[in-house]
Amino acid sequence: MSGTAGAHPATGARLTTGTAPATGTNGPRRGPLATLNPLAKLAAPLPAMLVVVFSRDMLLPLAFIVLPLLVLLLGARLPGRVVAALLVGTPLAAAVLGVSFGVWVDPAGLSGPATATVLFSIGGWSFTLAAYLVGFTTGLRILAILMLSLMAGMTSAGPEFVRAMVQNLRVPYRIGYTALAALRFVPRFGHELEIIRAAHRVRGTVRGRGPIAATRRALGTAVPLLASAIRHAERVALAMDARAFGAHATRTERVQSPWRRRDTLFVAGFVSVSAVIAWLTWGR
Amino acid sequence: MSTPPIIELDRVSIRHEGAARPTPAGVSFEVAPGEVVLILGPSGCGKSTLALALDGLVPHAVPAELEGTVRVAGLDSREHPVGVLSEHVAMVFQDPDAQIVTGTVLDEVCFAPENQLVEASEVLARAERALKLVGLWDRRAENPDTLSGGGRQRLAIACALAMAAPVLVLDEPTANLDPAGIDEVYAVLRELADDDDHAIVLVEHNLDAAVDLVDRVIVLDAAGRLVIDGPARQTLQARADELAALGVWLPVSTLAAMRLRDAGVPIGPLPLTPADLAAALDALPSLPAPLSASSPVRSTALTPAPSLTPAPSLAPPSAIQERSGTVIVAHGLSVRRGGRRGPVVVHDVDLEVAAGEFLAIVGTNGAGKTSLLQALAGVVQAPRGTVDVLGVDPARADVRERARRIGFVFQNPEHQFIAGSVRDELEQGLRLQGLDDAEVTASADRMLRRFGLDELAEQHPFLLSGGQKRRLSVGTALVAGAPVLALDEPTFGQDRARAAELLDMLRSLNDEGTTVLVVTHDLQLVADYATRLAVMRGGRLLGVGPTAELLAGPLIEQAGLRHPPLARATRGLEHHPEWHTVTRMSQLPVAAGGAR
Repeated sequence: MSGTAGAHPATGARLTTGTAPATGTNGPRRGPLATLNPLAKLAAPLPAMLVVVFSRDMLLPLAFIVLPLLVLLLGARLPGRVVAALLVGTPLAAAVLGVSFGVWVDPAGLSGPATATVLFSIGGWSFTLAAYLVGFTTGLRILAILMLSLMAGMTSAGPEFVRAMVQNLRVPYRIGYTALAALRFVPRFGHELEIIRAAHRVRGTVRGRGPIAATRRALGTAVPLLASAIRHAERVALAMDARAFGAHATRTERVQSPWRRRDTLFVAGFVSVSAVIAWLTWGR
Repeated sequence: MSTPPIIELDRVSIRHEGAARPTPAGVSFEVAPGEVVLILGPSGCGKSTLALALDGLVPHAVPAELEGTVRVAGLDSREHPVGVLSEHVAMVFQDPDAQIVTGTVLDEVCFAPENQLVEASEVLARAERALKLVGLWDRRAENPDTLSGGGRQRLAIACALAMAAPVLVLDEPTANLDPAGIDEVYAVLRELADDDDHAIVLVEHNLDAAVDLVDRVIVLDAAGRLVIDGPARQTLQARADELAALGVWLPVSTLAAMRLRDAGVPIGPLPLTPADLAAALDALPSLPAPLSASSPVRSTALTPAPSLTPAPSLAPPSAIQERSGTVIVAHGLSVRRGGRRGPVVVHDVDLEVAAGEFLAIVGTNGAGKTSLLQALAGVVQAPRGTVDVLGVDPARADVRERARRIGFVFQNPEHQFIAGSVRDELEQGLRLQGLDDAEVTASADRMLRRFGLDELAEQHPFLLSGGQKRRLSVGTALVAGAPVLALDEPTFGQDRARAAELLDMLRSLNDEGTTVLVVTHDLQLVADYATRLAVMRGGRLLGVGPTAELLAGPLIEQAGLRHPPLARATRGLEHHPEWHTVTRMSQLPVAAGGAR
């Protein structure tokens, strides 16, 4: 977090107005998408996701990859690195997913001219263009759902989600904020796991290859990891209790998470556009 | 006193679930507003449990039985939940990481008052006040993870202050910090103690840091009974022998003065800080000559009573034993963290370790000490040809070959346990060497006896006590006959009794011929135990040399460290220049027949 010195006056201003989240840690926090309620960004693509799940063809998921991508590029000022990753990574992922799903396709269920085009073959088994296309379509569907959820994921942070859930959906704050505290465990455990693996390597447990040895190794690291996880969780729980967490039915919300007209408009607009796209592309 | 006490304890006994007897047992005392109270006692006396009882975590959140009454601002802790009591008592715990629940420094400080339904504008006002006081206001937008250990603990103090409670309870707040972090935290605590707004109850074993800010000490004995309750300075001075006998850790300056008094040096009231000790020594017209490094007298701040070096016993049988010569050679060693493109954390280190040395690697957090030690022991890979341990490159050698040369002990012994019983832990390393069953059993039995674990052979390693776990981890590192033992921060987060137990064990291993390497930031420990010192800063080795020489020179300060208490007292002596190099307890003169 170097170079934050320049950001301090801005943070101070945000504090006094209390409209923008004070959490300025990760993710881009600019552009019109970022000012929407996280729940709006989560709800708007739900119908589109449902349609994608039940679609069979290529054009519809493709359209629902392009739509959220456009919304993201226009509505959130993403850093250049992220834009590049999205624009290059998405087609690349689709191409790779096409192969990895394609090899699982049962050739007996395929028909049409594409079954004759063999892309490569290993022994008696051959990978046809038809199989690849089926795999590719499945890959596109998964990417479409990913893209649709990225609209919310890339423009709002965890604490905002929790705030919206607690304030707008009336989820009990004890659950929401405990989940948030638990999220902090993840990097800690990752680091701890690394140390445990090194410690076990030194003891000479990394013997043998194959799934059985790997499973035994994993079990061996699970015990110390679990022991320290439980101890850590107990300590965190004590610290939270000592800070009056859960003492009252509600807690002060320093930052409001309002549902505004623009949130309604965004949801209505996105759902309408989704409907039009689905109607135009279904079955093509 | 006209003001009523803010905390009243009446015959409080607390028995943890499954414990045979209560600790603390029958403790009564009161804390007045604005008072700074230090609770002392040997490990296991229930100090931390007592701290948890002061805001109702015992009995409400911890499975323990509370007898007697705890009253906080007149409220019986049994009848009021923690949430209500938290308006009167704020807590700071030992582990800074286990207290952080949100993603930014500001959110963290606001967390408690938000839970207490304080109005939003007041929450922010309190947060600003608290963060400014601990010096973190400018970093309020940052993730707490980016703060140093000392910074995170200051954040925990700010969180407690934001609760606007009249009592602050701190449970071993500096046990997990390096010297710089300890100084940071005590600078904040000193300010709080001076302004009298808060009553502070401090549980701490590091008396060197705490002694000059407390008003009063309360001492528990090993059974958890209150034995001393009195004004801090007078109590520590007048009853130092009694406290030492109870197993309470006294300031190093006090221990040194007690040693000198036993040797016949007429020291008046016992000094509590290095400055006191220096003044007391300078006031004397003459001092006996300090003992030379080669004297057989042994004494440390952990076990101050002087003793004589035991006659060297026979070294344990070992596969590759070189009684003289070098065991480790590092040449042009650089270490990268996190793969080929990670940052270089150790730069171009040249180091030789001779057989039989006790070498300490010191430096501030992030100086690269642990990385250096791990590279020397082959835990992380160093560039080919830069490290040699008894003829092999440890990172590329077969596990079996490496285990016969060097054992590595991680900071947390649990991380290294891989078997279901203590015996299996030891036998695993022996089977790795390809020994037959009879040899494996015989060697394991010998190790079990050597480390005092023979009664616990069938126990699961995770069910051992802290000290036993530590002994077992050292045992597993040495079981294959390694003549070199490397330990990463072996005393981190431990109380003094356990630290003393471990270090005395390392010392006896060293006496038996094992070469010992430790990474540490506890410089009094270094002064008392290590024969040689390697000082690091910013990934580079600033210097290596005999401990006494380096501690007397400027290198320690160049590395951003502080001299240990005894060295701080003796360095500035005006009338006794021959004492300037006295840095370790064993250099203090002993009366004839004083050492046994």
